[in-house]
Amino acid sequence: MNKFLFELGTEEIPADMIAGGLEQLSRGLRAVLEENGVEVGAVSEFSSPRRLAVLIEGLPERQEDREETVQGPPRSIAFDDQDQPTAAARGFAGKVGVAVQELEVAETDRGEYLVARRTVEGLPVPDLLARALPAVVGGISWPKTMVWTESRFRFIRPLRWLLALWNGEVLDFELEGVHSGRSTHGHRFLGGGGPVEVAHPDGYVEALRQHFVLVDLEERRAKIARELQQQTPEGSSVLPDPDLERTVAFLNEFPTVLRGGFQERFLEIPREVLVTVMRHHQKYFALVDAEGRLQPWFLTVLNTEADAKGNIRKGHERVLEARLEDAAFFWNTDRQKPLAERVEALAEVMFQKELGSYLQKTERIRAICAGLADDPRLDEAARLCKADLTCDMVFEMPELQGIMGGLYARAEGLPEPVWKAIYEHYRPLAFEDDPPQTRAGALLSLADRADTVVGCFSAGIRPTSSSDPFGLRRQAQGAVQILLEHRLEVSLGRLLELAARGFEGVGPDVLEQVREIFEGRVRYVLREKGFDYDVLNAVFAAGVDNVYQASRRCEALQGIRGEADFEALAVAFKRMRNILTKETDELPPLREDLLAEKAESNLYQAFSRLQPGVDEDLEAGNYAEVLRALAGLRAPVDRFFDDVMVLTEEADLRRNRLRLLTDLSALFLQVADISEVVVARPSRP
Amino acid sequence: MNFQEIIHRLLGYWMERDCVVQQPYDVEVGAGTMHPETFLRVLGPEPYRVAYVQPSRRPADGRYGENPNRLYKHYQLQVILKPAPEDIQDQYLDSLRALGIDLAGHDLRFEEDNWESPTLGAWGIGWQVLLDGMEITQFTYFQQAGGQDLMPISGEITYGLERIAAFVNDAESVHDLPWNSRFTYGEVRKREEYEFSRYSFELADVDMHFTLFDLYERECRRCLDNGCVLPAFDYCLKCSHTFNLLDSRSAISVTQRVDLIARVRALAVAVAGAYVEEDEQVPV
Repeated sequence: MNKFLFELGTEEIPADMIAGGLEQLSRGLRAVLEENGVEVGAVSEFSSPRRLAVLIEGLPERQEDREETVQGPPRSIAFDDQDQPTAAARGFAGKVGVAVQELEVAETDRGEYLVARRTVEGLPVPDLLARALPAVVGGISWPKTMVWTESRFRFIRPLRWLLALWNGEVLDFELEGVHSGRSTHGHRFLGGGGPVEVAHPDGYVEALRQHFVLVDLEERRAKIARELQQQTPEGSSVLPDPDLERTVAFLNEFPTVLRGGFQERFLEIPREVLVTVMRHHQKYFALVDAEGRLQPWFLTVLNTEADAKGNIRKGHERVLEARLEDAAFFWNTDRQKPLAERVEALAEVMFQKELGSYLQKTERIRAICAGLADDPRLDEAARLCKADLTCDMVFEMPELQGIMGGLYARAEGLPEPVWKAIYEHYRPLAFEDDPPQTRAGALLSLADRADTVVGCFSAGIRPTSSSDPFGLRRQAQGAVQILLEHRLEVSLGRLLELAARGFEGVGPDVLEQVREIFEGRVRYVLREKGFDYDVLNAVFAAGVDNVYQASRRCEALQGIRGEADFEALAVAFKRMRNILTKETDELPPLREDLLAEKAESNLYQAFSRLQPGVDEDLEAGNYAEVLRALAGLRAPVDRFFDDVMVLTEEADLRRNRLRLLTDLSALFLQVADISEVVVARPSRP
Repeated sequence: MNFQEIIHRLLGYWMERDCVVQQPYDVEVGAGTMHPETFLRVLGPEPYRVAYVQPSRRPADGRYGENPNRLYKHYQLQVILKPAPEDIQDQYLDSLRALGIDLAGHDLRFEEDNWESPTLGAWGIGWQVLLDGMEITQFTYFQQAGGQDLMPISGEITYGLERIAAFVNDAESVHDLPWNSRFTYGEVRKREEYEFSRYSFELADVDMHFTLFDLYERECRRCLDNGCVLPAFDYCLKCSHTFNLLDSRSAISVTQRVDLIARVRALAVAVAGAYVEEDEQVPV
């Protein structure tokens, strides 16, 4: 069997785009082979900032031969009166390379046609690949591309070399003026300068390793992980940062971990600032001691073999200290002006063009908070929560907004509920992120998010299926997470209405659209929690205005759904709902004297006995108890449907029975529309 | 190697590679990109190569000469290679070697950083070059300038001269850098930093500068109406600098800011369009 190796060499690809590009290249190559009926063996992928490479093994020499049928002219013009082939038939035969007498006639939808059957010889696989490669490479889609040649070919960065080997042979092709060959390039400074020849795909990884390029991502990650441990002093540990580990693995061809330090006096700067400077600005790992205290050290990943003279360490330390010097300066100067005195200046900080300044947003958030809870500390937090946007530290490091406000509030001596609420009111930033821990932080975040989403919708800024530039779905999802995590009994409708009061003319139609966005996120979050889709359908059909209660109802339903009585009841409930849709007249209240049949009075009595307990359980949110109690109605309900003719001709009896079923179903619908539950074949995610 | 030697070596290096060695532009600018030798030359089809130093004024970055890294005015060394040769990255790396930097003994990398100037209607794709963690160069393949799609594509190399000098001389503060064998950077420039910081934060006459902005804008338009593109560009640059000054005086409100940026951008786009159009009509 044969091996095929392809490497495309470029100028440095952004670290976070390498994996996506490589995946597409690999998929594109496999697709070409599969579309041409070529079986593919093992596929390996390699990458570094300057290259994407794919090695495919177990390839046959040629594509399989295949039978092909080509349709020619209609029979009517292919033969003359004497049934002899005409010029049309001879022309067709010539074109497809088959003798005239071998042509056949085939029945088609449009009548009889001449056809030729021929064997198409399979192409050599290397030819197939060479022909397909330019389109595969050009077909990679990148988040942001550039042009550099007259042809305006778009790619992530200029293409500089193409290595394409079929075993030991070069696969010949050209793309944007670059010709394929057997050369690659080693490390920019340690690789010895010139091109590196690769004799055979088998020697690829080692040839590059010799020239200080580790093309195997896992090898780079392992080296980084190992050296992070080695470079960590006794008693300390690396502050875990999986994202950064991944980034530096894609940023370096020959990663080497180096430890540097900074002056202890900088430890007076809040930890959040130090970590942000190290992590986001310099891509350094921070170190902590056994008690979790930050240490005056950092670990950086170099793109070179070693720091023989200590110059590299000195350079990195100088850069970090200059940044920390700035941070210390901001920490000291920002605090000279309390947050309360900064609020007015928010009039000059734009939130969004259509939605005014952050001062206006602050006032709206305060109003929403006031509607959610009567809590002077929440109000103070709301009043100050955006004031840090006028601080130099936040101007330099926008990712610290909120956090800095909280830290400055704490330094000012404001009460803990106030500074903590400010500190955490942007959380959660992502689905994996934790919501605020404090109740005030949770309510503040909720108010901020509701204001943003309702405001944007009222200004016509809405997410579409493909784009959500203002992150409104994420905002709504964070609100849902907060409602669930804090078990907040807040009505979604009320929250959105409170938010709508902050803007001119938010009509019911806009609120309905916002509600849809929120409910979509409720569904998503609950689905992620593992609830079955039909359980969600059942609970949603009964309404999810109180998100926390909705999740409790899901739990109850999911817990009971498999039980035999419940399944039977779900079937009966479905019948009930079907019958109820047939009667549209207003139904009079139930009359006991009209309960003619034994089965219906039995059902009524069983139902009446249950009702007080069920109401209590509903009040207390014991939804599992409610469902269990209702499941106990299975026998009388079944008997009712067996013995009683609901849609009888006698109008009084009919309406009375429908009333009984309506009352019964209303009780169910306080928890869920269980007719939505799929019986006998429960789904699992 | 002192500050002026670094400039000398870099200009010498690019002079040997067919670059026209130009002088700084004599209108206040915020970056070397605004020099007409970059902004206008990257437009249109003619190949070009140029290198020059451009003192770049950023009023809001002034620190009265007291900050070790931040300056009201810093020096950029700007190189434009049009079209960008295939080995432009290697040529750049060789220019660092020409400064005596042993790249194998350091940690150099190209990290994604796509340059964009909303006021010039210009953007490009490229990197910041980090040397032992310090950003020493901005490297850009220009894609658009003045709202015009470019072809051929120019490679722009913008060296941060103070950063490179700090690296080469292992200096903690820019003011300690040797300008030459007798004078430090601080001795040459500190008073200027102090006075211009004072001016742009405390003194600049806001009303006058708003008036000037309007006047410069009008003059730019008038030049364009009369087919005189290069003088028009001067007034576009003056608008841009006036905007920066007003900004450092915190005189610009939210809505004004958007509006003023849009006005400068409109001028830059008009200039670029006219430059390409008038190109064929100018007597040689």
